[in-house]
Parts: sequence; C-alpha cells; structure tokens
Amino acid sequence: MTSRETLALAAVALPALTALVVAVVPRRAVQPAALAGLVLSGGVGIALAIAALADPADLTVTRWVVIDAAAGLMTGVIGLVGLASALASPSYLRTVTSGLFGARHGMRAYYAALAAFVAVLTAVPLAGNLGAAWLLVEATTAASAILVGWSGKPRALEAGWKYLLLTSLGLGFSLLGIVLLASVAPGGSLDALSWRSLSADVPAGETTLVAYLLVVVGLAAKIGWAPVHNWLPDAHSEAPPPVSALLSAALLPAVLLVAWRAERALEPAVGESAGRSVLIGFGLVSLTVAIPFLWRPLAWKRLLAYSSLEHMGVIALGVGFATPLALAGVAVHIAGHAVAKALGFYAATPLLGHEPRAAGHAVTGIARTQPSLGATMGISLGALAGLPPHPSF
Amino acid sequence: MGVALAALFLVIVARTREPRPVRAGVAPFARAGLAILLALAFVWLVPPVGLETEQAERAMLALVAFGAAVVATRRATLHQLLGIVMVENGLVLGAIELPGGGSLGIELGVALDLVLIAVVAVVFHERIFAEFGSGDTAALESLRD
Repeated sequence: MTSRETLALAAVALPALTALVVAVVPRRAVQPAALAGLVLSGGVGIALAIAALADPADLTVTRWVVIDAAAGLMTGVIGLVGLASALASPSYLRTVTSGLFGARHGMRAYYAALAAFVAVLTAVPLAGNLGAAWLLVEATTAASAILVGWSGKPRALEAGWKYLLLTSLGLGFSLLGIVLLASVAPGGSLDALSWRSLSADVPAGETTLVAYLLVVVGLAAKIGWAPVHNWLPDAHSEAPPPVSALLSAALLPAVLLVAWRAERALEPAVGESAGRSVLIGFGLVSLTVAIPFLWRPLAWKRLLAYSSLEHMGVIALGVGFATPLALAGVAVHIAGHAVAKALGFYAATPLLGHEPRAAGHAVTGIARTQPSLGATMGISLGALAGLPPHPSF
Repeated sequence: MGVALAALFLVIVARTREPRPVRAGVAPFARAGLAILLALAFVWLVPPVGLETEQAERAMLALVAFGAAVVATRRATLHQLLGIVMVENGLVLGAIELPGGGSLGIELGVALDLVLIAVVAVVFHERIFAEFGSGDTAALESLRD
C-alpha cells in the first residue's frame, strides 16, 4: 500500500472510528473524544490533499479507489471544514438545550452523526466506481439529515424531512441511470461501473445517453442545482451552523465531483457536446434562479444558502467548459468558496446569540453593535461576492 | 432486509396511531391517473435496456413511476416513505434482472442504504408526530421565500 493509499484509508477510517467511539464512551468523554478524532482526521485529510496536489501526475486509479488531484483537493476541503466545524460545535451546542434526541443523548447523537457524516463524505471523492460513489452519496444523506433536523424545532424537522425525501428521490433516479448503464456495460456488475471501465467499455447509444441524463439529474438534486434545489435553502438555514458549513462547503462540491467524473467517464459514449451541455445548462439555470434571491434582504443563513446555489452554478459552468484554465479556476473556486462560506456559517452562531431575530429575518446594524462579528460577516460576504483579493475574484 | 423494513414499519405504525386519516393532497382518481401517465411516459421515454425480460423492464419503470407519484401526491410522512421504498424496489428489480444475473454488490448496497434511509425517516416521522400530533406534511410548510 502506498503512502497516499494509507492516508486515504486513514482519512475515512479515523472519523468512522470516532463515530463508534463517541457512541460508547461515557457521557463526559463524548466531546473530547469527538474533537480529538475529528481534528486528527481533518489533519490526515489535509495531508492527503498536500500529497495528491504536490504531484498531480502520480495517480492511484483502481476499480474502487481513485486518488488524483481532484480527490486530493476535495479531501483537503472536507478535512479543513470538518476540523473547523468540529471546533465550532461546542459553542453551538452550548446554545441548545434539547433536540431530536433529547437533552440526555443529544450531544452524543450530534457528534456520532457528525463523525459518520465526515467519514462517508471523505470517501465520496475517493470512490473509483460510480456504483460505490452513489452508495456513499446516499449514505451522506442519512447521516446529514439527522444533523439538519438535530435541533428538533418544527422548522428544522421540515427542512430535514424535505432534504431526506427530495434527495433520496433524486438519487433514486440516479440509481435508475446506473442500472441502465450496468445493463449496457460488458459484464453488468459493479466492476463494470468503475470510472475506467465506463470510459473504455460503455457503448454509445440511446440507452447510455438516457442513463447519463438520469445519473446527472439525480445527482443535481443532491448538489442543489436548480431547478431541483428546493431542499437546499431550507436545510442550510435550519441545520446547526457547523453542519451548514459542511453541507455547503464540502458536501455540494464533493457530489459535484461525482457528476463531473461521470461526465468525463461517459463522454466517449454520449459525446463531448451532449455531456458538457447538461452541466452548463444546470449552471445557467442555477445562476438564473439564485441571483434574484441574492438581491433581496434575507435571513443570514438563508442568504448564504442561495449563495451556495449560485456558486454551484458557477462551478458547473467551469466543469462544463472543461478547458484547462476553466478547471484550474474551478479548483481555486471550490477552495475559496469553502473557506468563505464556512466562515459565514460559523458567524451565524454568535449572530443568533446576539440577535435571535436573525434566524428568520434580515438584520441590520451588526457592525455597530458587534464590530468583530460584523467584520467577519463582511469578509465572508465580500469573498463570496468575488471581491479582490479573494481567490474567487 | 425486507423483513427488517417490514418490522420497522409495523412498530412505527403501532407507536404513532393517527387520530384521523391523513388526507392526500390530490383526489384518488387524479392520483391514479397521474401515476399511470407517469408510468406510460417512462416506458415511452426510456429506451429498451436489455434486462432479462421486457416485462421486467416495464415493471421496474412502473414501480419507479408509482413510487414517485406517491411521494408527490401523498401528504402522510409514512406514505411518502413508502413511495421511496417503491422506487428503490423497482430499481432492485432492475438490478436483479440485469443480463447475467446482476450484481450482488448493487443489490446488497441498495438494500442496506434503503434500510438506513428508512430508519432516519422513521426518527423524523416520530418526532413530527410528537410535535404536530400527526404525520401530516401539510404542517411542514413554514419555510418559504
């Protein structure tokens, strides 16, 4: 096993192990165990990113695992945001008295679900197989839906239910596409769905094109691309802020990476123009839907959610154009968006403590009453708006 | 997995008896019409995929269409969850009927995933029932822009 493969295994296994440990340790040890495990796994994810990006030509591609620059970038982003979300969680949890699992088991359930979410999320960009990637994406839904509804408030229950239902239904259509692909791929087994086999062996034809459309449309429901984005503003705005950061900064681009890999793998069969047009179409529709909402005064987290829709649209355009410059821009954009968006969501915890009305309404005057909080929100918004010197400029 | 899922539904139905029937958002004939139209559209739009038999292809698409229609038109949380189960049942049928017997990996993975989603959905259903006194999603319409 190479050092990269060891790091990849550790990046997935550590948070999974953390989830198990958190589930069984005594109550007073839950938070320290969770933070230690998630900080360590975040560090491993960042180390894997450095190793993968330092030498992008050195690839690990098997039937089950792919470690390339794209996977490295995403594991780094997930590691960084996962680590930061873990550290931001104690201050959020201090503001909550009960939740979906009651006061007694709430903290344990929160950290176990958070660690499980980070584990499956880290595995998504490393999956070397469309079938395995689908299973992992669906598993992120189960872990993160619990976190979205974790506060147990009516609005959080509504958001969590919508998220669970709409993304599961969307991913059902993706799975239909995968079954169609398996029916035309030689062998028809899970092995035939590896990125390499899809690219080399899937024949061109009507069935492959329909399968590709179903796969991407289903994944679009999870990425939050318009017009299948209905869950996104609700889930991002009602989830605990550290979870919203992970959803927006890490989950959406990780699933987008799966859609991009599917497009790349099926491009020889469906044609370059058809494959890329679908991504560009989703990008344009997402931008068109997001922009009117970004002009309106919205509650802080809801504004950030619509910003996610916009940024996923921009990234879709980048991967749709697919020139080397566009893909380099996408990489920078994903990293820049992750930092700026996570910062914005982390600011929501002190914002809601200072001004509870901000949960449902646009608020003003924060910079006057809380200058450091106002400055943090300003930096986040400026970066998300693409103002220089932020990389997304 | 199927037995586990059935047991889960039995337990949750017993634990959360609705005080009165949850009305669907759409009348019965309209629901049936929509489901049949959706199934016919799927059969017309999706090209032959080469499953073991043509009947299996149609059954797969019909189950997916009926499940999607149930999710879209029913308001009860448990009915919506059953819609998702129908969709996944159709897909597992497709996986089983793949030429050469399909992949055990796909079938097991989908089944495990479905149980996981169903467990999480049941947690939500119980909490929604406790909060609103019913599993009627009509109560879940406060988030709007």
